[in-house]
Amino acid sequence: MSEYIHDLIDWQFIISGVVLMAGVHAVLGLVAYGVYLERKICSYIQDRIGPNRVGFDFGLPFLSFLKGCLALGQPLADGIKFFFKEDFTPKNVDRVLFSLAPAIAVVPALIGFVIMPWGGALDIPAAGDMGAFQWLFGLPGFAGESFYFMFGHLEAQSVIVTGANVHVGVIYLLAVASLGVYGVTLAGWSSNNKYSMLGGLRATAQMISYEIPLGLSLLCALLIAGSFMPNEIIEYQAKHGWLMFSLPLPAILFYICGLAEANRAPFDNAEAEQELVGGFHTEYSSMRFALFFMAEYAHLVTACAFFALLFMGGYQVPLIGLTSPEATGILAVFAKVGVFSLKVVLLLCLAIVVRWTVPRLRYDQVMMLGWQGMIPAGMLMLVVTSVMVYLGATTMFPMFAANIGMLVIIMIVRLALAKAFGRSTTNKRIRMYGSRYYPMEGETSIAAPTVAMAIEDRPVQGSVSTV
Amino acid sequence: MAIKDEDLITITPKPMTSSEAVYIPAIVKGMFGTTMRHFFTSFGQGRTSRTIQYPEQRREHYTPEQGGMELSNFRGVHRLNRDAAGRVKCVACMMCPTICPANCIHIEAAESPWDDREKYPAKFEIDMLRCIFCGMCEEACPVDAIELTPLYDVVGKSRQEMVFDKDKLLHVYDMTIEQKPM
Repeated sequence: MSEYIHDLIDWQFIISGVVLMAGVHAVLGLVAYGVYLERKICSYIQDRIGPNRVGFDFGLPFLSFLKGCLALGQPLADGIKFFFKEDFTPKNVDRVLFSLAPAIAVVPALIGFVIMPWGGALDIPAAGDMGAFQWLFGLPGFAGESFYFMFGHLEAQSVIVTGANVHVGVIYLLAVASLGVYGVTLAGWSSNNKYSMLGGLRATAQMISYEIPLGLSLLCALLIAGSFMPNEIIEYQAKHGWLMFSLPLPAILFYICGLAEANRAPFDNAEAEQELVGGFHTEYSSMRFALFFMAEYAHLVTACAFFALLFMGGYQVPLIGLTSPEATGILAVFAKVGVFSLKVVLLLCLAIVVRWTVPRLRYDQVMMLGWQGMIPAGMLMLVVTSVMVYLGATTMFPMFAANIGMLVIIMIVRLALAKAFGRSTTNKRIRMYGSRYYPMEGETSIAAPTVAMAIEDRPVQGSVSTV
Repeated sequence: MAIKDEDLITITPKPMTSSEAVYIPAIVKGMFGTTMRHFFTSFGQGRTSRTIQYPEQRREHYTPEQGGMELSNFRGVHRLNRDAAGRVKCVACMMCPTICPANCIHIEAAESPWDDREKYPAKFEIDMLRCIFCGMCEEACPVDAIELTPLYDVVGKSRQEMVFDKDKLLHVYDMTIEQKPM
């Protein structure tokens, strides 16, 4: 066993551990403050002010200088509130799945981050050359010996500052992210509530539909970058320009699918308050509800990080030497982490602005957009990208020209199809039996009160006409 | 009322243009046209922001044009008016509990200790939790004894505390007589 540990520990192992420990807290913090950011941005968009009271003074006089603080204490206050609310389990629910569903929703959302190469490569000298380890080895007795046993053999190594430097990288993220819908579906099913059930079903159907264009546009990027490893994708982009510019159409498709995968407006049909009460989380309260909330935001952050990694060059910014993949110092790592996080936050802001601009699509419109719009477009883009890769013209300008050409072709084909088959998206008015707006043939529609007492008791304002 | 055929307006939506049919240009236009314009003009209590920061700023401080309130006809907490001698003006005629749609006014009448009237309210209670602030008591009162004031932020720690008795209602009169003269 000890031999095994001895062999297991190298610099990548240690750095991965540090990144995981820091990363999970950073992501949870980003989720909490993402909610705050959303509330703040949306209130400015709606000409309001939003949260502006809760500081960190906790009502204590000696902390009064922390009062206000732009309501940065709001996420903490919300969290405490969630903890102290009643955790209610309705009768007749499937208890095991009901309790398990929030965890199943939140875990895939949180473990997706392990492959994000936040800081790129880092060169580390051998442990024997570093003062900190010399001091640890110098500890008296057993402590020093055990530290020497664990870290003494560490050699100079170039590591990737990421949670897990695995070769399947992007595929892992794709697999884990699509697991998230199980939590939603199970929550909907186990709640024993028709609205929850409908919400869960919608989430499943939406996930299945939007997984396809997501995968197709991802394949376009992978075809060009030629690797599954996140760090190599970023290195490719540093050398040949961000894929956002050479693949603008797949980038847009990918972002839209990311929003749909995260069950995010305008695709938040699974929790459409106006139709489905609360959607899949109708029956949830307290911390279990908070977990769903957290999972939703964590999914969004994952989608934004994934987009930044694939199409916006990850940690890299052109013309800044510190963020290029060649820079491997500790300062470069911090700069890269900062740049990556900044990109994620900017994409998060874009998602928030999209949410408060675009109204929710009706459920059939979501499906129509997915199956009639995005999947054919994704397939076409995949074909075009493959042809360009075959021709060897994968630099920015030929690819951009090919994308524009494809856009023109898509528009022409769309018009031709509309001419040939008519518009498929028209809202058809269906006569519903009993509706006073659409009485059936020979039926009179009566909506005014006909009982004498009803008219007498509650005089209708304006003219009363009985048919 | 039944909606007649001639009242129905049938709207046929215009067919989408080709740039609208792919959504993206229209969404970008809306995002950077409307949404971001509102964001930047109202950022940090900007030009289009209409928020009143309540405990510090109050609606009384503004004119109705600025979004404030009109003090003379605002329907807030009730008060019992006093006459020139400082006595309660009410004559316990029971008009207000009769008209009250929420049944929140309770009066116990007693023989008046003064010569100028027969009755006066020995007890006068208004349950502020039941009251719907419709102002019908004010309209019904023949001697203008009960009035609604511009006070609107009443709080209490118990239900009993929110049942205002005669002393409290007279106290409200003392508090608001300068703000809203009789």
